[in-house]
Amino acid sequence: MAGTSRLRSPVEFSGILFERMAPINLAVRKMALYEFCYAVEGLYPEDGWDSVQLDAQEEIERTIRQRKYYNDIHTKPREKDRIVLDASITRLTRMLFVGLVQGEYSQDWVNRLFYFDLRGFYFLPRTVYFTEAGLAHFGGEPFRTFAPRQDQFEHVQDIGYLDFREANREIDQAFIEMIQNLIEARGTPILITLAGPTAAGKTEITEQLLEAFDKMGKTTTTIEMDNFLLDRDFRDNKPMGKETTHFGLFKQCLAEILQGKKITIPRYDSLSASSSHDLDGNLKPGCRPLEVEPADIIFLEGNFPFQMDEIAGLIGIKVVYLTDDPIRLKRKWKRDIDYRKSYDPAHFRNRFFKTQFQRAEDVYRPQIEKCDIVVDTTGAAIWVTPEIRASLA
Amino acid sequence: MFISQTLSSPEAFSKALFEKMKTIQPAIADLEPYEFRYCLNNITPEGGWASIQPLPQAGIEQMVNSRAFYDSIQIKPKVDDHIVLDKQIVWLAHMLFVGLVTGDYPEAWVEQHFYFDIRSFFFLHRTTYFTDEVLAHFGGRPYRQFEQKQKAFEYYQGVGYKAFAEANAELDALFIDSVKKIIAAIGIPVLLAIAGPTAAGKTEIVERLNRSFEQDGCKTTSIELDNFFTDRDYREARGIDSKGKEAMHFDLLMQSLEDITHGKALSTPRYNFIDGSSSHDLSGKLKPGRIPVEVQPADIIFMEGNFPFLIEEILHLIGIKVVYLTDDAVRLKRKWKRDMDYRKKYEENYFRNRYFKEQFIMAEFAYRPQMAVCDMTVDTTGAALWVTPEIAEILERG
Repeated sequence: MAGTSRLRSPVEFSGILFERMAPINLAVRKMALYEFCYAVEGLYPEDGWDSVQLDAQEEIERTIRQRKYYNDIHTKPREKDRIVLDASITRLTRMLFVGLVQGEYSQDWVNRLFYFDLRGFYFLPRTVYFTEAGLAHFGGEPFRTFAPRQDQFEHVQDIGYLDFREANREIDQAFIEMIQNLIEARGTPILITLAGPTAAGKTEITEQLLEAFDKMGKTTTTIEMDNFLLDRDFRDNKPMGKETTHFGLFKQCLAEILQGKKITIPRYDSLSASSSHDLDGNLKPGCRPLEVEPADIIFLEGNFPFQMDEIAGLIGIKVVYLTDDPIRLKRKWKRDIDYRKSYDPAHFRNRFFKTQFQRAEDVYRPQIEKCDIVVDTTGAAIWVTPEIRASLA
Repeated sequence: MFISQTLSSPEAFSKALFEKMKTIQPAIADLEPYEFRYCLNNITPEGGWASIQPLPQAGIEQMVNSRAFYDSIQIKPKVDDHIVLDKQIVWLAHMLFVGLVTGDYPEAWVEQHFYFDIRSFFFLHRTTYFTDEVLAHFGGRPYRQFEQKQKAFEYYQGVGYKAFAEANAELDALFIDSVKKIIAAIGIPVLLAIAGPTAAGKTEIVERLNRSFEQDGCKTTSIELDNFFTDRDYREARGIDSKGKEAMHFDLLMQSLEDITHGKALSTPRYNFIDGSSSHDLSGKLKPGRIPVEVQPADIIFMEGNFPFLIEEILHLIGIKVVYLTDDAVRLKRKWKRDMDYRKKYEENYFRNRYFKEQFIMAEFAYRPQMAVCDMTVDTTGAALWVTPEIAEILERG
């Protein structure tokens, strides 16, 4: 049929790309070519696909392993009055598109280094969570493995919480039983930390654990690390650590609650970014602290706790709960964008791209190398240290 | 718990509303209660739920059926440099939420007048497309009706092309078959125009028709009405509405339609949407350096455009006049996927405000009037094909 096409991006290019992308992201098969073309449009370079210069594969591999590449990503670059995708993120996806269409980059190579998020319509580098050191820490092999039921999510764009819970049922159940056994073996009161990247499923698993402890007849309580933060003015943008928290108070509170005492802790107000306590650890006039009743099992919530070596000894069980980046990103689209509407979508895409790498390097890999248990929901495996293995035997 | 306590506790309110909403919008059951709470937090009134005074039901009905209400909806209201939801849209949602929780509004009444879009997280008025006049035009009942497979979409938050095409397969097949019978009866060349609201599925059905004609060995082409627009500056300076014949190179349009239905090749104006300029000047002459659209003669000429049947003077030239309709709730779910997820075309609040506003205005201005003069209406959500008695006769004969 003659007539002008409304698509700027040539349909031939999109058609070939559509074929090449189908094995890379299985959910592409569920799209109609037309929908795919609409999405490709958004990345069409001003001077056409021919204008995209391809970097050598080694060059790309080197770039995406460097911290600097992620540090330089702008999370809120603007064009006119809209936030847009960061230029280097756009460039990466354009290069991979063109490389795939021209056959310069093989699908295997792209797939090994990157995953493609359909909703964001961009490539992200795959993050390594299990380093050599991490693997060695767990004796080189998982404690238990399960059928990888999250594989089904490769075929869909959206992941609802019911499907996610169902896919993790077996591994979650095994994890909960393990924790119950460890608590029986170690006695109470006991402090547990559960760390994990955003949207890994921390809230859901914590709820299930609370329910299980309740059935065991154990009392539980929660301490949020954030409440120990100093006023933002004193933190100087430094990450959470000894210098940015009421650390003395924190250590003392943990020690006391482990002796079965009721504790009084600071209260941090995130709206005003201020603590109820001054720098000397004294209650400010007119502020109210938080009271925490003693309990058998105390959850310490927050993402940075067991990097602080001085408190590591106080924590009975240190868990990292992991879910792979592509799955977390799909969950976040639903939760943070569709439901909470917390960010502008372009800001969200830039931010996830940037922080996925930074967080893995700063937080999760170090935590994995120090914790007792890693629950890898996507890999469907539970990893434990030799010590935990021994106490579970 | 007393109602007053529920209204003054955000948690209790969210819990009570969640239960009510599950019966109104089945897809709500896919949300965790805490996810529902997140959504609700975004539109919780500043003074709390107890501060909302719901209007009597009759007052609400009157409001949502009046054009003035939609005219007053702002599509880009700003607070602190951010586009926000229009106040009245929020107010309507507040009233319906509170009325449902207090029991002042029965669920059945809410469902009768409104649908709830999860991605938007607000209520929209159900638009009536089949008025008495439209029904009478089609002899009071559909020509044929199938199982309403789009009902499955009530459980979806977004609707993709493939699921949509599958749900409409039977109706689309009958429609294509009917169009061919009509063409066999009235002969070629024929002008075929398909109008319909945004995201009703026009592009897809045109593509399928086109493929089908080509398989039959028919030559097809298309004429886009939009190409006949005059320069935007000219229209804006004179306050000319972009929907009527005053906005077009009307003589050129008439001539082109006459010519193409007589098997002649055309050279039509070309409109550039980016700079808002026509290739032709106001006297209908090609501007220097501009390239017109060449249209070769064909058996079937698709006429593309949103309002082809609003220009009375060209009605008689259009051989087959179709309105392709999909319910507002389903179109909105399609648009979330297509315009927001894939095309990333709009700011989200602007998108929500605009859909709420235009759904009513466009039905009144464009779609009900076009349904009342067209030959057939394909109602994909109702899974029904409606035709005029004259067309029914052709189809029965064929």
